[in-house]
Amino acid sequence: MSSTEAAKSHSDMFNGNKNIPMPLIGLLIAISLMGLYGVFNIMTKGHAASLGTTKTVPWGLLISTYVFFVVSSTGLCLISSMGHVFKIEKYEVIGKRAIVLAILTILCGFGVIATEIGHPIRMAIYNVISPNLFSAIWWMGTLYGIYLMCIIAEFYFLMTHNHKGGYYAGLAGFIAGISAHSNLGAVFGFLEARPFWHGPYLPIYFILSALISGCALVIIIFNVAYKGEANMPAKAKEALLGIAKIFGLLLGIIIFFDIWKVLTSVYGAPPEKYQTVMAMISGPLSVNFWFFEILLGMLIPFCIILATKGRSIKAALVASCSAVVGIFFMRYDLVVAGQLFPMREATAGSRVQGVVEGLAVYTPSASEITIVAGAIVLCAGLYLAAERFLNLTED
Amino acid sequence: MSNKKYAIILDDTLCIDCKACTVACKCENHVPAGFYEYRNWVGEVENKKAVFPNISRKFRPSQCQQCDNPPCVHVCPTRASYQTEDGVVLVDYHKCILCKYCMTACPYDARYENTDIHAIDKCTFCYHRLAEGREPACVETCPPKVRKFVDLMDADGEGNKILQTTQTEVQKPEKGTNPKLFYIK
Ligand code: SF4
Ligand code: SF4
Ligand code: SF4
Repeated sequence: MSSTEAAKSHSDMFNGNKNIPMPLIGLLIAISLMGLYGVFNIMTKGHAASLGTTKTVPWGLLISTYVFFVVSSTGLCLISSMGHVFKIEKYEVIGKRAIVLAILTILCGFGVIATEIGHPIRMAIYNVISPNLFSAIWWMGTLYGIYLMCIIAEFYFLMTHNHKGGYYAGLAGFIAGISAHSNLGAVFGFLEARPFWHGPYLPIYFILSALISGCALVIIIFNVAYKGEANMPAKAKEALLGIAKIFGLLLGIIIFFDIWKVLTSVYGAPPEKYQTVMAMISGPLSVNFWFFEILLGMLIPFCIILATKGRSIKAALVASCSAVVGIFFMRYDLVVAGQLFPMREATAGSRVQGVVEGLAVYTPSASEITIVAGAIVLCAGLYLAAERFLNLTED
Repeated sequence: MSNKKYAIILDDTLCIDCKACTVACKCENHVPAGFYEYRNWVGEVENKKAVFPNISRKFRPSQCQQCDNPPCVHVCPTRASYQTEDGVVLVDYHKCILCKYCMTACPYDARYENTDIHAIDKCTFCYHRLAEGREPACVETCPPKVRKFVDLMDADGEGNKILQTTQTEVQKPEKGTNPKLFYIK
C-alpha cells in the first residue's frame, strides 16, 4: 500500500454513518445498565442465591444466552467469509458490518458467561496452567479466544483496506470459528449422561443454526445501517437478496433436521429422550417450542422467504427479525430441555431438587433476566455506536 | 500404580432409613447445612417384592459412585476434578471455576455447589480418614451396617469374596461409568 493510500484509509476509517442518532445510542447503553442489577446481586449475595439454577438444572438462561451470542458471532463470521475469504464478489460488501457485529456479540457472550461462572478469574488462570485437553469446555473456551483474536485482526485489516491481511485473518477466523463452534456443540454432545444431547447431532446442528443466525443478522444490520431498502446502494441490495435466498434454504434444512430430531426421540419412546421431547411438545416448554422455536424461528421466516421467492428485502427483514427471536428461544430450549429429566428419581428422601411430576423445574431469576436483557441491549447499542463512528461501508 | 482400589458394597435390604449416614457425613466433612447441599442421601425405592398383604418399604442409601471411568473428571476444564491412583474421584477446590460442567456430566446427580467453599463438592470416600486407617464416616456410623468399605485389589479380601459369591448390581451400568458402589441384589 502506498503512503497516500494508507493516509486515505486512515482518514476515512472514522468516517461513520451520521444517520445513526446519538441519543438512541445513549439510550440503549443507559437501558443496558439494568444488567448491573443482576451483577450486583451476584456479587453481594452469591450465585446460589441470585440465579434460578438448581442442583438438578445447573445451567440456565445465562448459558443459553451465551450460546445465542456465540452462535450469532460464528454465523456472522461464516457468512461474511463468503465475500473476503471465498471471494464471491457480490458478498464483499457485508464484510466490515458482519465482522464488527461478530466481535461485539462474542464479547457480550463472554460478558454473560463471566457472570455465570463462579470464578471467572480463576478460570483464566487455571485454563492456562492446568488445562484438561479432554474437556470440550476447555477447547471451546480456548478456540473462541483464538477466534476472537482472528476476527479482531480481520476487522483491522478490512478497515485499513489490507485485502491480503483480511484474507488470511478471515481464513483463520473461519477455521477457528468452525472448530470453536462445533466444540460448543460437543460440550453438550459428549455427555453420555444426557441422551437428549448426546451424539454427533449437536456439533453439526450448531454450525447450521449459526449460519441461519448469521444470515438473519446481516439482513437486519444492513436495513438498520441504510434505514431500509430505499436508501440501499445496488451492491448491498444484491448481496442481501442473495443472502435472503441462502437464509430460506438453510431454514428449510433446519426444519428437516428438527423433524428427524423429534421423530427419533419419540419413536419407540427411547428413555429420557422421549420424556425430554414430550416436555417440549406438550409439557412445560411447549409455548417456547411451538410458538417461539417452531413458529417464529422456522415456519414464519421460511414461509415469508418462500412466498416472496427471496426477492423482497422488506419481507426478508421481517423474516430475519422473527428468526432471531425464535433462535433465542431455540437456544434456551436446547440448554434447559437437556436437563429436565432428572438423573435420579425424585423419591422421598432422595433430595433431588425441584422436580415436579418427574421433570425438573427451572425458572430464570430476575438477576438472570436483567443480565441477559442488558447484554442484548448493550450489544445493539455498541453496534449502532460502531456504525456511527466507524466507516463500515465497503467501497 | 497404587495397590489399592477402594469400593463400597451395600446391602440396602438392611437399611432402616435412619439417615445416620447423612448426618455423619455432614459433620465429618463440614458440609453446609442447606437442604440441597449434601454428599449422600437415602432415597426410597419401589419394592417390587412387596405385594399386599406382605407389604414392606425399601430404601437405597447412595452417594458418588466413585466411577472407575468418571465422566465428571473427563469434562472438567481445569482438572479440578481428578482421580487418585487408588481410584477415588476428588475435587481440588482451588482449581474449581464453578462452570458446573461436571454436574451436567454426572449421571447420578452426586455433586453439589458448596456455598461455604464456593466450589463443587461430592463424596470423597472420606479420603482424609483412609490415611489414618479409618473407615468412611457413613460406613462406620450405620447401625445395621449396610455399607462395607473394601479394597478390590486385595484378592482374598472381603470385598472380592462378596462380589464373587453374591449377586450384585451397579446403578446405570449402561452409562459405562463402571461405578464402585455395588448393591447386593
Ligand atoms: S458418580 Fe458422578 S461425581 Fe461420582 S465419580 Fe461418577 S460421575 Fe463423578
Ligand atoms: S465446576 Fe469445578 S469441578 Fe466441576 S467441571 Fe467445572 S471446574 Fe471442574
Ligand atoms: S464416604 Fe465419607 S464423604 Fe462419602 S458419603 Fe460417606 S461419609 Fe460422606
